[in-house]
Amino acid sequence: MTATASGPGPDAGIALLALSGLDKRYGATHALKAVSLALAAGEAVGLAGHNGAGKSTLIKCVAGAVLPDAGAIAVSGTQTRFSSPADAYAAGIRVIHQDAPLVPHFDTVENAFLGRPYPRRHGMVDRRAMTERVAEIARAIAPDLPLATPVALLTPSQRQFVRLIRALADDGRILILDEPTAALPAEDAARFFAVLGRVRDRGTAILLVSHRLDELSGFCDRTIVMADGGVVAECTGAGHTVAAIISAMGGGAPMAKVQRTLPDAPAILALEGARTRSLPVPIELEVRAGEIVVLYGLIGSGRSEVLDAIWGVERLTAGAMTLGGEPFAPRNPGEALDAGISYVPADRHRTGLFADESLVFNTTLPLLSRFRRWPRLPVPSRSAETRAFAEAARAVGLKFGHAGQKVRTLSGGNQQKLLFSRWASRHSRLILLDEPTEGVDVMAKAQLRDIVRAMAGDGNGVLVSTSDREEALELGDRVIVFSAGAIAAEFSRQTADAAALSTAAQSKPQFDPEPA
Amino acid sequence: MTRTTLYRFGTLIAFVLLCVGFSIAAPEAFASQANLANLVQQIAALAIVATAATLVMTIGEFDLSVGYTASLSAVICFVLFAAGVDIFISLPLALGAGLVAGAINGILVARFGVPSFVATLALGTIVSGLAFGISGGASLFRLVPDEFKLLARGNILGIPALALWTMLVMGVAGFVLTRTEFGRRLRAIGGNALAARLAGLPVARDVILTFSIAGGLAALAGLLLASRLGSVQHTMGEPLLLPAYAAVFIGTTTSPTGAPTVAGTLLGVAITGVLANGMTIIGVEPFVQRMLTGGIILLAVLLRRIGRAG
Repeated sequence: MTATASGPGPDAGIALLALSGLDKRYGATHALKAVSLALAAGEAVGLAGHNGAGKSTLIKCVAGAVLPDAGAIAVSGTQTRFSSPADAYAAGIRVIHQDAPLVPHFDTVENAFLGRPYPRRHGMVDRRAMTERVAEIARAIAPDLPLATPVALLTPSQRQFVRLIRALADDGRILILDEPTAALPAEDAARFFAVLGRVRDRGTAILLVSHRLDELSGFCDRTIVMADGGVVAECTGAGHTVAAIISAMGGGAPMAKVQRTLPDAPAILALEGARTRSLPVPIELEVRAGEIVVLYGLIGSGRSEVLDAIWGVERLTAGAMTLGGEPFAPRNPGEALDAGISYVPADRHRTGLFADESLVFNTTLPLLSRFRRWPRLPVPSRSAETRAFAEAARAVGLKFGHAGQKVRTLSGGNQQKLLFSRWASRHSRLILLDEPTEGVDVMAKAQLRDIVRAMAGDGNGVLVSTSDREEALELGDRVIVFSAGAIAAEFSRQTADAAALSTAAQSKPQFDPEPA
Repeated sequence: MTRTTLYRFGTLIAFVLLCVGFSIAAPEAFASQANLANLVQQIAALAIVATAATLVMTIGEFDLSVGYTASLSAVICFVLFAAGVDIFISLPLALGAGLVAGAINGILVARFGVPSFVATLALGTIVSGLAFGISGGASLFRLVPDEFKLLARGNILGIPALALWTMLVMGVAGFVLTRTEFGRRLRAIGGNALAARLAGLPVARDVILTFSIAGGLAALAGLLLASRLGSVQHTMGEPLLLPAYAAVFIGTTTSPTGAPTVAGTLLGVAITGVLANGMTIIGVEPFVQRMLTGGIILLAVLLRRIGRAG
């Protein structure tokens, strides 16, 4: 490491940011294992690794949000110790999250000065000085950005430019970007990197975290690969390719492939040339009864949008869908539900659960009319509901205190099981699961996947959408890989392997999306 | 008694203390059967409008048009009376006007995504203009059938009709919200509208239905008010709006999650009613009455906040 020189200064030989031997444990989990890393001014370094590889912990240490157990951080050669995010901020470190909030009614200039002292003139806010400061940076990196337009009227990629300008206007020297392009369409991502390149050329150090590995190999000078809490490789020069990064990321623990015998059943669901507003490329897809089909891809790759179309959230603009051989065009989720489809949404807090309501309320809601006291009156029977809940809770292995407790008191894994429990009493023709084990612990993951297999074993067709590669390999009788809104590849349980899935998920689309 | 239960029942205790206080201050005038009957007459229309507000707030929306809708339906009814139209035609038409106004609110919110605050304020303004135009700005009282006056002034087994109307409306609304599938769906929509839609619930339909019911209830409140007073002005429903929401907000202090409930709203209506009635009896100046009422609403909600934080 080079963190021995004394005094700050942009000397070429001194790393702007130097981490040496950062170590962090959370209980039994060794989250960071003696990680060292150096970042020079005007250098862009990529950071790659699977979920749980330690990237987030590393970023939190650099941002001052987490105090490492051991190791040192040096900025411009000076040893520092960040006991709070404010310390890291004062040292010029700026972490830019993809959805960092901006004030929608404020323009770029006002957002750039948010939370900072305004320049003053005669006791009044000096708008001209603010504009000059921001315009100077904007001219250099994003000359086309309208500075006086409220950010609510800007495009998502322009808002990313605003976040960059905000970081630079406040003397940010070290930028850490966390998935900056996850929400951007491909052409906007290209524009973003053109701007980011100019940021780098101003002498800013950039650490870029992305699941889109072609961005790392295309934009960064080198890429650090993490696995299992440690740095496992540094890809540079001719070895700085997507393939090299994938192979360095490794497959994690080798896992036993669960063998399942598939019934020779007819297709329960078929999509033929199906397109929606968010799926510009026609999709061909089949799910048979008793089969688990996994749609694997990065966030925004189009896999969840396929579930949206089947669940009636988005309507087909072209092509056809059949359910059990009959034409099927649900106009809303209620129609899909009535047709015998069940659905577990991703992001249980935002789109799944009713946090202030009881466990029973959350479980029985979608099929409430099954629990009537008298068949013809829409009045649920408390006892029938409680019985149904108890049965469903047993089926999914839910751990809870009492049926009336609030959802927010459950652990993440149990909340996810609660979402599953809605459909436990039902023989669905097709079950749609979006990120079914997101944000739950290892034990709960295994239990949830057992439930998914049991669902298929009961003859339900199962369609899983996931960004978790191990999950795709473990669950899928077939794995269909999505990239940039289109199907990139399809694998059977026998042909699927970790590297093939990653390569397909990183591939460029074969089609030109039709203009909207 | 734990801290939480104290906060939860604090509003109820405050109500009891108010009643006790007024009974001591004016034992003859306040705590009499005649005054109780009078009190019920005074708060019936407010209670029904507040029930409408409770339903709409259960789905997480606002309806600012309820007072104007009450005026419009009363005006329509009395204009039809004056034109000699039979009560069995004029009453349903007047109620229907409220349902239609509510349905338009619901369609604006559910189908076009207009924030309910804006949609109902705009529609309410249109409705108040309509009421003004139809009434010609004059007070209406001609050719009112005697049967209509019985709506509010009659009684069954000695119970005043307005008390029965209030019990009927609030009883049914309470039952629907707590015991039926529809009520369950409304709570789900208010709790997390996106999750409700993704769980397959007919969210748009239920939202339109809820606003329609609110419009119908507002119309009913307007008609009962007209029946009690025997005459109609085009602005008569407007003073109901703010006290109705005040009552709902006082009521939310009794629920553990701060969600509106019919029982809580009844308590809120009772508190505002007893305050107005009692203060008038013991001779508090009207301007002081207003300031005290506002202060008490703030106090109830503040105590609730502090209770939650602690």
